[in-house]
Parts: sequence; structure tokens; C-alpha cells
Amino acid sequence: MLRFAARRLAFAVVSVAAVVFITFLLVHAAPGEPMLGTPERALASPETMARQRTLFGLDRPLPEQFLRYARNLARGELGESFVLHRPVAAVLAEAVPNTLLLGGTALVASLLLGLAIGVVQAARHHSRTDTLLSAATLVLYSVPVFWLGLVLLLVFGERLHWLPVSGMTSAGLEDRLSSLGRAVDVARHLVLPAASLALVQAAAFARFQRSALVESLDAEYIRAARAKGLTERAVLLKHALRGALAPTLTLAGLSVPYFLAGSVLVESIFGWPGLGRVAYDAIFARDYNVITATALVSGVLVAAGNLLADVAVAIADPRVRLDQ
Amino acid sequence: MRTRLALAIPLVLAACAKGPAGDAARAPGGTMIIATTGDADVLFPPVTSVTNGINVSDLLFCRLAELKLALNTVDDAGFRPVLARSWEHPDSLTIVFHLDRRAHWQDGAPVTAADVAFTFGVYRDPAVNSPLAPFLAAIDSVTARDSFTVAFRFRRWYPEQLYDATYHMRVLPRHLLDTIPAARLATAPFARAPVGDGPYRFVSWAAGSEIALAADPAWFLGRPGLDRLIWRVTPELATAVSGLLAGEADAMEVIPARGQLERVQQATDVRLVPYPSPFYAAIVFNLRRPPFADRDVRRALAMAVDRETVVRSVFGPFAEVAVGATSPMQWIWSDSISQLPFDTAAAARLLDQRGWRRGGAGGLRSSHGAPLRFTLLVPTSSQVRQQAAVIVQDELRRLGVDMRIQPLEFTVMERRTQTGDFDAALISRTIDPSPASLLQWWSPGAGGNIGRYADTAFGSLAAAAMRARTRAEAAPLWRSALGRLNDEAPAVFLFSPRNNAAISTRFRNVTIRPDSWLATVTEWRVIEARHIARDRGAPRP
Amino acid sequence: MSPWRLAARRFARNRPALTGAVLVAALVLAALLAPLLTADPLAQPDPVRLQNQPPSAAHLLGTDPYSRDILSRTLHGARVSLVVGIGAALLAVTLGAGVGLTAGLAGRRTDQLLMRGVDVALSLPRIVLLLAVFAVWEEAPAAAVVLLIAVTGWFQTSRIVRASVLSLREADFVAAARALGTTGAGIVRRHLLPHIAAPVIVSASLDVGNIILLEAGLSYLGLGVRPPTPTWGNMIMDGKDVLFSAPWVALAPGLALVLTVVAFNLAGDGLRDALDPRAAA
Repeated sequence: MLRFAARRLAFAVVSVAAVVFITFLLVHAAPGEPMLGTPERALASPETMARQRTLFGLDRPLPEQFLRYARNLARGELGESFVLHRPVAAVLAEAVPNTLLLGGTALVASLLLGLAIGVVQAARHHSRTDTLLSAATLVLYSVPVFWLGLVLLLVFGERLHWLPVSGMTSAGLEDRLSSLGRAVDVARHLVLPAASLALVQAAAFARFQRSALVESLDAEYIRAARAKGLTERAVLLKHALRGALAPTLTLAGLSVPYFLAGSVLVESIFGWPGLGRVAYDAIFARDYNVITATALVSGVLVAAGNLLADVAVAIADPRVRLDQ
Repeated sequence: MRTRLALAIPLVLAACAKGPAGDAARAPGGTMIIATTGDADVLFPPVTSVTNGINVSDLLFCRLAELKLALNTVDDAGFRPVLARSWEHPDSLTIVFHLDRRAHWQDGAPVTAADVAFTFGVYRDPAVNSPLAPFLAAIDSVTARDSFTVAFRFRRWYPEQLYDATYHMRVLPRHLLDTIPAARLATAPFARAPVGDGPYRFVSWAAGSEIALAADPAWFLGRPGLDRLIWRVTPELATAVSGLLAGEADAMEVIPARGQLERVQQATDVRLVPYPSPFYAAIVFNLRRPPFADRDVRRALAMAVDRETVVRSVFGPFAEVAVGATSPMQWIWSDSISQLPFDTAAAARLLDQRGWRRGGAGGLRSSHGAPLRFTLLVPTSSQVRQQAAVIVQDELRRLGVDMRIQPLEFTVMERRTQTGDFDAALISRTIDPSPASLLQWWSPGAGGNIGRYADTAFGSLAAAAMRARTRAEAAPLWRSALGRLNDEAPAVFLFSPRNNAAISTRFRNVTIRPDSWLATVTEWRVIEARHIARDRGAPRP
Repeated sequence: MSPWRLAARRFARNRPALTGAVLVAALVLAALLAPLLTADPLAQPDPVRLQNQPPSAAHLLGTDPYSRDILSRTLHGARVSLVVGIGAALLAVTLGAGVGLTAGLAGRRTDQLLMRGVDVALSLPRIVLLLAVFAVWEEAPAAAVVLLIAVTGWFQTSRIVRASVLSLREADFVAAARALGTTGAGIVRRHLLPHIAAPVIVSASLDVGNIILLEAGLSYLGLGVRPPTPTWGNMIMDGKDVLFSAPWVALAPGLALVLTVVAFNLAGDGLRDALDPRAAA
């Protein structure tokens, strides 16, 4: 088991390195150059631009730039943002926890909701409830996340005034709230963006759960459990659900890219100060070091998700030979 | 001319100012949350270039003198004292400033002449790389005569000396910066948590999220009316407006989309405060390329664009047709500047005369087999410019001209226009209060002259205007220069938006200076009866 | 009866699946006939007086901020969504099947190399790459969007195909064919392809919906196929500012988007159930 995990871990490191390499090439080969000042406001002269390029080493050949980047990365240095004039590591240190909070909440919420819907459907499969829920999850699964976000924002934020619409906290009140009050405040701000992300993914989880549970209800060990006289509810909750746990973990692990993609849209709609927005802004400002670093972090998160999925499969299914 | 100048003076919202002016001074307090779609870049004035960074650092650092609301950049009377209590002109090449001895840095140190001289050095240092350095080219030296007297020496005489000496630089604290190598100034911790001498002091900055400032109760020109200013970054405009309407935020500098403006118009707790915008948008032709080297083709295209339709469709009532390469913010603005008429028949005749005749598929014009076709670059970041482009495209199609729209990511477009790799570009120019900025964009060899327009008549008119001693002498010359530009049509000057700030009705005494919307914020007040949770209590020390 | 015909019969008896298939067919037809059915999607009759008009006899779904006909734009927008969705899914599946087959049939070292490469590719943050490429792509035509989405989306299919090939390679009928002297290419064509077709078709049909959503997200951000060419994503963006005063501008493309994705998912679910009876529940 340990050897297996170590091998997968080593592999994850290689994957992340490849991600960094590909992203670096991509952004440097792209036309345009870092936004060194906003020329529409104060015109930067060609000489100023040239000096900036020299300062950041952008006038060097690409292989040389990459080698230097790799050397710095090996020392744990991510470089400096051209636009924000600060270390990239500091930028990420602020953004990543916020994205983990948003994504983590959405992941847990969507797992629980998806599981609940899946169980209800499987328990009464082919009933009217099942059909209705199937239709509902299908539609939800087909809704674009930015559309859902806009609708939630308009209805629950602007029209009903139930929940705040932007940012992580209530501006101007932070220092007047107790720590509990502050936690509640953040939680209230979290509801709409997390719900936008979670609802769509919950529909995906529910669809998967339902078919997995229905299938496993036919499995032999379940038939045996039923033969022992267990009630249908006990069978479902104890046995079938346990069997469905590992695939669910796998799915959760593999859903990381979905949450990353969704966070780019949702964070920008709700003004959530996270990684998705940092990446989006950096791409448009051509802030090379920040783009590469966000790709690095995203790569780590995706690889961690894959790792989780692999381990879950290995634990659940002894037939998977760990040394393969 | 006088009536035109009145237009440039922003509206004072007297309607909500209850009680005598005197009580404003006695009732400070309150918090203003400002929603913004972009974060600041860095809070170090020589290199700060993002709008929101400039807005914040403007309140942390003072100038020697400030322009008054009328934005008169020529006469001494157009300025009010800030760090400089007074100034004089001992000769035509020198201005001597006497500093206000009450001015102090927020760590307690006094603001001295040595700080001013140091500041000039920083702005001019190539290692600092300030985009403002070219504006200081006419200043030869800045020297401290004593602790509170500083002399600016110019290379030549011109009427806007005082403007150049005061407008571009914000004084920096030498004692906190002189140990930092120039190349590291922009990335030093100071640039993210500065110590200034302005009405507000720095409290906190959570990148991508929030910047907080608190009033300096001991500011030498009097305690500001609002205790706290907090900028909230909300990248999505629609969300920012939602937050404003829901009372999560109090103010926005500008709402650049008509649909969102209409939402605010219907709100009761928020009002729109219009002010002349500091920019204009134009389709710039690349004169290096064949069809546009021909002045008549440019004129025909300019006459074929119904700018009124473009403006009303994109902005409704919220913008003006541009009278030329200026905006109502500048004192040279006038609607008497001569412009080409909207006249499709004349445009068609002109194109026929120049050999561009209809005949191709879909009525497309061509000359010697080459179709009249070009590509217009538009930045993806600007919704309004993309909308305008789509409408112009349809208008030109009716004339038999095939204009293709190419939306480009901003930096890519910038690079293409800077290197001359384009046919035409829909650009937006942010202009200074000074008309001298006209030369940055339209004189031969200037970095901003992307279309390579070169005209001696325009050049000599502008040069004469620059030398004129008074505004009364200069204004007609500038207007002739702008008229000449319209006539030559190196660009189609499309629109100048009427900017609209959105501000909660909780605030009174609100005035806006067009080039810097918070320039008078120290005088804004919260109506006491309308204090809410975030206004109460003392701010965190 | 051949397994394919059995599957077709199962599909035809599955009402939701059939609904999805009919919807998909109708959408494709509408997209193909869009130029005949509706006016020019770029025409602006009067961008001042006719902008943001509510639905009427002249404009069944109303007009947008440029006075363009929303029905026409929605139908033309379907072309982009369908071309990108179906095109990218087909291309991705082809790529995936190609790599999967090669890995499954080639020697151990090629297999290892390819599959490790696929593992790495699965860790790529697709969204960051797509954003970065489209942000700088000056005039990305639909073909480029298809290509990029496909190139970043075939990895899972290659794993599925390789697994099927590995299990089939040792199957009796393949061994028999090999003993009879059938060439490698012949074995692939006659024995392997038919068997791996089912999972590949299912995975492609379920991918279409996701790709359509991805394209819409990109064009909502102003990337990919650029305006004024109508796409559902950029139509929603056009309508965002007038969501309250003229909700039809964003509603029509939004509903079209949801309907299309639902249709493809219904059809995809039906295909899966029909081709793999075990999964049918």
C-alpha cells in the first residue's frame, strides 16, 4: 500500500512538473506581452517598455528564461508579479485558502446532497419521485454554472435581500464583530457562490449514485443480506451504501477540475477573492509568473484529486493490484 | 466661451445639503464603501498605473498644489495650495514653493523641501521606470533652498509650468525611502503599506478583495468628513451594481454600461452623479496602409458614420458625440469646433471620385480589382467599444465598405497598434486636464501617434497654442488645431461618455472633479440621520 | 438478431432517450435551416429605436441591444454550439480511440509511455490552458475551438479503449482469428473496433453536453468564437446588463442551451442503457 502511494505520489510530482513546463511554453509563446503599465492612461514610452523587458529578463531567449524559472522553482521561488509588484507566493497565499474554502464547501455540500438524492431515488426506483428527481437532476446537470450564479444572485441577493452578493465579508463591519459573528458573516457570503457550484455538481453525483446503488442492489452480497431477513432500508443504508462509498470518493477526487473551472466563473460573478480570479486576471494581463504559478497550484490540486481517487479505488477493490 | 467653461464645472449637489454649511465641519464620521471592478496595482505614486491604485494613493499622498474644480491648467488662480502654502515666479524659468509647515508625514516627521527634491529624483530615475517621467522633461532641476522652500528650474518658458510642477508628482517621504535601491522601490513593503501625508492613512489591503483607509484626524488642512473609506473589489459590473442597490456598497466611480445605469436610475437610495469623462473613443486609421493614406477616403469614411446613432444606441442619454480629440473635461472643449457632417451621399461621391466604385458582390466597392475592405481592432475588455464597432460596421456596409471587426485581448491589441500592424483600431484615450496632451497622440514621432499622422498645419497651430500667454489666446488656437484634425480625419472621433458616479443618497456635499473623482472627498459627509451599522462607533485605532 | 439491432430496439423503447434523440435531430435541422428560416442574424434594422424590443409578431423572441432578431441569433447560435459540441466530441473520441488502440496493441514500452503521458495530461488544469490560449487567439474560428477542446479532452476515452483492447486481446475469438492468419489491421477492423465502439459512442454522446457548456462558458467570458457571430454564451453576455429590463435577451439563449444539453444527455443515457443492458436499471 505504501509503495503504491509513494509511486503515485512520485508520479503526481512528474505530472505537476509537466504542467508547469507546458504552461510556461504556452504563455511565453503567446503574442502580446505583460501589461507594463496601462498605456491608455499614462503612455509608457517604447524606451520604458524596453527597460521593463530587460528588468524582468523577457528579452532573453526562451530556453534561458525557462531554465532560470526552473532553477528558481527548485529553490521554492515563484518569482514576482509584473503587474502587482509583489511576490507570486504572497498572491497565492491569500487566494488559495479562499478557493479551498469555497471549493471544499461546495464539494462537501454536493456530495451530501448528491448522495441523499441518489439514495432516495434508489430506494424507490421507478417510482414517481424517482422520475421527478431524475428529471430535476438532469436539468440541473445541464444548466451552465454562470447562468445559475446570475439567477441566484438576482433572486436571493438583489430581489429578496436574503444574502449578500459580493465578497467574503461585510465591508466595514469586520472589526465590529466577534469572531463568531465574523464566521457567520463569512458563511452568509459563502452561501450563494457555493450553492452555484454545488447544485450543478450535486446533480452529477446524484445521477451517478442512483445508478451505482440500483446496480449494487442486484449484487449477490445484497441478495444474501436480503435473504438474511434485513429490511430493504437496512440493506440499502448498510450494505449498498458502503459499496458505493469508494466510487463516490473516486468521483469526488476526479471532480477537482470541475470545481476549478467553475471557480473561475463563480468567483468573478460573486467577487470571491480566490485562485480562479487570480488566474483570470493574470491571463488577461499576461502576468507570466502568476499564470504559471496558478497552473502549478491547479495541477497540484488536480493531481491530489487523482491521487485520492486512485487510493479510494485501491482500498475499495482488492482486485486492483497495488503494484500495477 | 464662458458658457462652455460652465459645463466643465461639475455639479454641486446642493439639494441634499441640509442646514448651514458650518455644521458639516462639526459632524465628521461615517464609512463609505466604494465598489470597484478592479484592484489596485501598487500604492506608490510614481509607478501606480491602474485606475483604482491611483484613486487610493491620491488620498494617501499630497501634491504641492491641487487644480480647482474648473481644471484651469494655465493660470495660477486655477490652483489651490496643498503642501505648498504659496509660490512665486522670480523669473520666467523658476517657480519657488513655500511649504506649509504644518504638513507632516503620518509617522510624525515634517514634510520638507528635501522630500520634494528627493521625489523629483525618484520620478526621473530610469531605474524607477515611472511612466510619468516624460511629463517632467521640461523641468531641469528641483533644489531645496531651505527646509521649507524649494525651487523648480525649467528648461524653457511656457504657460503650464505650474501645472507640470504640481500635477504629475505626489511628494514622497525621503526618510522612509532613501535607503531602498531605486529599482526595488515599487516592490518594497512601503509600496503595499505606505506612509503618506494625505487626509487618509493606510489601514489594510487584502489583495483582490479590499483596501481600507482611515481619516487622519490630525491632517494639517482639517479632519476629513468621512472616517473610513473602503474599496471593495467586485470584478463583475452587474454584481457590483447589485451590491450597491442592496446597500452593501455606497458608491461607484463610474457605471460604464447603459443597462446597469438604467437599473441605478430606478433605485431610490442611490443616485447618479454625472460628470464629464476624461476620455474619448475614436477609430484611428493607419496612414501607412493604402486606402487610409488617401485623405479623401478617410473623410468619406468619417462622413459615413452616423455618430449620433452610435452614441444613442450604445449609451442612450449617457454620452456625447465627440467634437474632436478632446472631452468636455478640458477647457478647450467647445461644440463650435468644426467637424465633418454626417452625409452618406457626399461620402459616396467622394469614394466614387477616388475610384472606389460599387460593383462587387453585395455592392462592395473596389478600385482596380481591390475591394474596399479593412479590419478594425477592438479590445475584448470594452463592451461599449465592441457595441459601437458592430453599429459602425453596419453603417459602412451600406456605403459598400467591408469593415471586419477583430476583437483582441487588450495587450495584444496594444502591441499591434504600437508596432503599426493594423488597418484601423477603436481606441480610447484618457486625457489630462492639459490640452498639451493632444501632442502625445497626434504629433509626428509621438509614441501615441499610432496611425503615423503627420500634418504641418496642425503642428504649427498646436505650437502656437502652447506658446500663448493666456487661455483666451490659446483656446481659439487649440480649437483650430482640433478642427484641422477633424478635417484631415486621421480618425473618426466617436464619443465621449458622460461619466456617471453612483452614490448613495446617504451622502451630501458631493462634488466630483472629472480627472480624479475623489479629489474633494474630504468635504463629503454622511447625513447623520442616515447613519447605519458601519458608520457607528470609532474606527479601529 | 445482431447486438446492434437489439440495442436499437432497446433505445427505441426508451421514451426519454427517444425524446432526446428527436430533440437533437430537431436542433440539428433547425441549425442547418437557420439561414432559410430566419433573417440575417447580424442585421440591425434600427439600433436606437428597435433595441431590446419584447417579443412581437415581427420578432418572435424580441430584439437584442443592437436591434438584432433574437430568434435568428438563437438558431444561428445553435450552429456554433452544435458544431463545437459534436465536432469536438467526435474528434476527441477519435483521438482517444487511436491512442487507446495503439497503447493496447503495441508493446509494453509504448503502452507504458502513452499511458503515463495520458496520466500527466489528466492532471492538466484544462480551464487555465483554454483560457490562456483563447485569450491570445486573435480570431479563433469554430474549428479552432473544436480542435482545442478535443485536444484537451480525449484522455479518459483512451483509457477506456485501452482497457477494452487489453481484455479483448486475449479473448478466444481474437486468438482464433490470429491463428487463421488474419493480419493485425484485419483483427483491429473486424474484431476490435466493433467491440470498443459501444463504450466510445456512449462516452462521446455524454461529452457533447459538457463541451457545449464549456464553449458557452468561454464565450460568456468573451473568448473562443468572437462576436458579432452569435453564440449562446455571448448572447447571454449581451443580455446580462438588461436582465431586468429586457429579460428575453438572455433568456432565449439560456433556455436553448439547457434544452440542448438536456437533449444530448437524455440521448446519451439512452445509448448507454441500450448498448450496455447491464447498466439499464
